Amino acid sequence: MDRAEILGLLADAVEKLDVKGVEPLVDQALAAGLKPSELLTEGLSRGMQRVGQAFNCGDMFMPEVLVACDVYFAGLAKVRPLLAADGDRHVLATMIMGNIYGDVHTVGKQVAMPVFEASGIRVIDLGEDLNDEAFVEGIRAHRPQLVGFGTYMTSTFMHTKETVEAIRKAGLRDGVKIICGGPAVDAEAARRMGADDASDDAWQGVVKMKQLLGLPA
Amino acid sequence: MSRIVDEWVSRLKGKLPPIGEMTHWERMAAAMRLERTDFVPVAPELDYWQITYAGYSHQEIYHDVDKTTDACIRTWADLRTDAIWMYVDISHQIENFIPAERRPHHFIHRGEKDYLMFRPLAATLDEAIAMYERRDYEKYLADSRAVTHYTPHMLQLLEFQEKMDRQVPVIIGLATPTNYAETIVEVQNFQKWMVTEPKEKVRRYLDLCLQERLAALEFYREHAVGNGAVFCCLFGGARTWGPRHLEAFADVDRIFGEAAGKIFEHVFWHHCGRNLPGALQMISEIPGVRGVQYDMPYYGQQVTWPEWFEQAAKIFKGRQCAMNAPTTQLACHGSADEVRGMVREFIDATLPHTTACVMPGCEIDSFSPTENVRAMIETARSRRID
Ligand code: B12
Ligand SMILES: [Zn+2]
Repeated sequence: MDRAEILGLLADAVEKLDVKGVEPLVDQALAAGLKPSELLTEGLSRGMQRVGQAFNCGDMFMPEVLVACDVYFAGLAKVRPLLAADGDRHVLATMIMGNIYGDVHTVGKQVAMPVFEASGIRVIDLGEDLNDEAFVEGIRAHRPQLVGFGTYMTSTFMHTKETVEAIRKAGLRDGVKIICGGPAVDAEAARRMGADDASDDAWQGVVKMKQLLGLPA
Repeated sequence: MSRIVDEWVSRLKGKLPPIGEMTHWERMAAAMRLERTDFVPVAPELDYWQITYAGYSHQEIYHDVDKTTDACIRTWADLRTDAIWMYVDISHQIENFIPAERRPHHFIHRGEKDYLMFRPLAATLDEAIAMYERRDYEKYLADSRAVTHYTPHMLQLLEFQEKMDRQVPVIIGLATPTNYAETIVEVQNFQKWMVTEPKEKVRRYLDLCLQERLAALEFYREHAVGNGAVFCCLFGGARTWGPRHLEAFADVDRIFGEAAGKIFEHVFWHHCGRNLPGALQMISEIPGVRGVQYDMPYYGQQVTWPEWFEQAAKIFKGRQCAMNAPTTQLACHGSADEVRGMVREFIDATLPHTTACVMPGCEIDSFSPTENVRAMIETARSRRID
């Protein structure tokens, strides 16, 4: 198999929800001499992008998208340890992400993370139902450029204000861009509460984050 | 007989000024029958919000039935919505699946206005099936909140409904089989299993959920309908499924909906979140379902609000009352003017096709300002239907 063919198969594995097939394919790709970073950006991530398109035009639905995310992550888990050696060239930015205090909705985060990863944003998942301190600690520990708040309900979205304030008090606000995500967000309201933006769509979220960081779309 | 109910009845009965020509009950019932009403009925789902509005914390009412009922009636007496929603939370739904000693691990109280948090009950499909096969939900029922809190609260509100001569209906809430199937194992797991697990196994689980729900309906026949309940909200699951999975697995909800429609006169379906038009279509075809509390358009659908309201109204035409607006988000962080605007858009787009009920797609968030709740009520009442 040539390079293009293997990359095509990797993208297909994600799109066709091949949970079992993805790991052997990654092995095959590495054995064939493909670089971990290209395997990710031109293989798995392409698949994830197609999933996004299919989702947004109604050809794919949440149950399938969730399985596609699992396939993507299974592949990523194999590739990730090798990426550093490869110079992490594909990483545009680092992001910490977690659900704000009181919120245990995990589905949105599970979908958003691989979408971000597939666009070159390395995501560190801090978990769910996090107090403000967890975000402050997360910024100190990982030095991200981006902070993502998972806010899946109006009440937890409203808590953005306190969490941003805690980050500001810790003197860390200027070093990061903060974006909220979830079905109940509103960009205007997010800005009023001190965040930089908000999105109820992971793919659109990527566009917004790139804008915030001054990166080309 | 309940003291708290009698106190309220003596305070309110015969002393409330009429609104329009119809009673609250008549207005709601007519809308559900697709008949003309004086005003568009307005019945926001005030679950947690009414607790806060009445000055209680969620912790405070958790074990106190009187305070829970007091909050619902107090809020209604002030706002005069066209229905009283009984208070329900997730513990009512699933505590009876859990032995008493493990309950504190599954339910977590946070701030005074925050939702009750809970942890899922089973990690795999096999575990979930086994739990149902063992009939855990019967074993642990006796001292669970379904019995100690939900039922007495429901009975108190129904007592109020009857003693007030059915001026205002009480809405009884119960969850459908897919809602249980998802909640018990965490929604995302169930969704994935529909794709990855053998179809028969998923079916087996859903059938067990259906059986439990149908048995529960017998309880409702005796204790809810038997004590005057007429209005019932079915909290549907399957909210993020696509057409393939609705087709393959949603029949359990259809069966349940139809059965509930035979017991309660006015059944409506709660389908919150992002709604697939195909799912609304499916719900609209369930015999006995007279209303649909729907919400926002599904991902990727590029429609304006009036277009969305119209699209839904056309689906329900001739069959159901359309229930929506404003969104729970707008109710919480929008202005009163924005709330008024969306309620008007909803009414205008709906009435040419079917009856309307102003009822946001899901429960009003505890943090929603009172002026926004008042704004939705005033807007519904500001215009007579000709
Ligand atoms: C599944 C679900 C649950 C499950 C969650 C299981 C789980 N492990 O996740 C359970 C049953 C546990 C649950 C519980 C509750 N839920 Co709930 N839930 C839903 C539901 C139906 C689907 C959510 C979902 O999976 N969506 C699919 C994902 C992929 O979409 P998404 O989250 O929007 O994510 C997308 C984008 O927002 C974006 N994104 C996600 N994260 C991020 C992060 C960043 C930084 C960015 C940029 C983008 C981004 O990417 C995703 C893809 O585009 C929604 C309704 C809905 N359809 O949204 C309600 C919903 C979120 N829940 C709601 C409520 C009220 C509750 C409860 C309070 C119910 C109750 N009374 O107990 C509890 C609260 C639990 C808690 N404390 O957190 C309400 C919130 C209303 C509001 N406006 O506040 C919703 C919106 C339903 C509604 N009314 O419309 N829920
Ligand atoms: Zn809801």
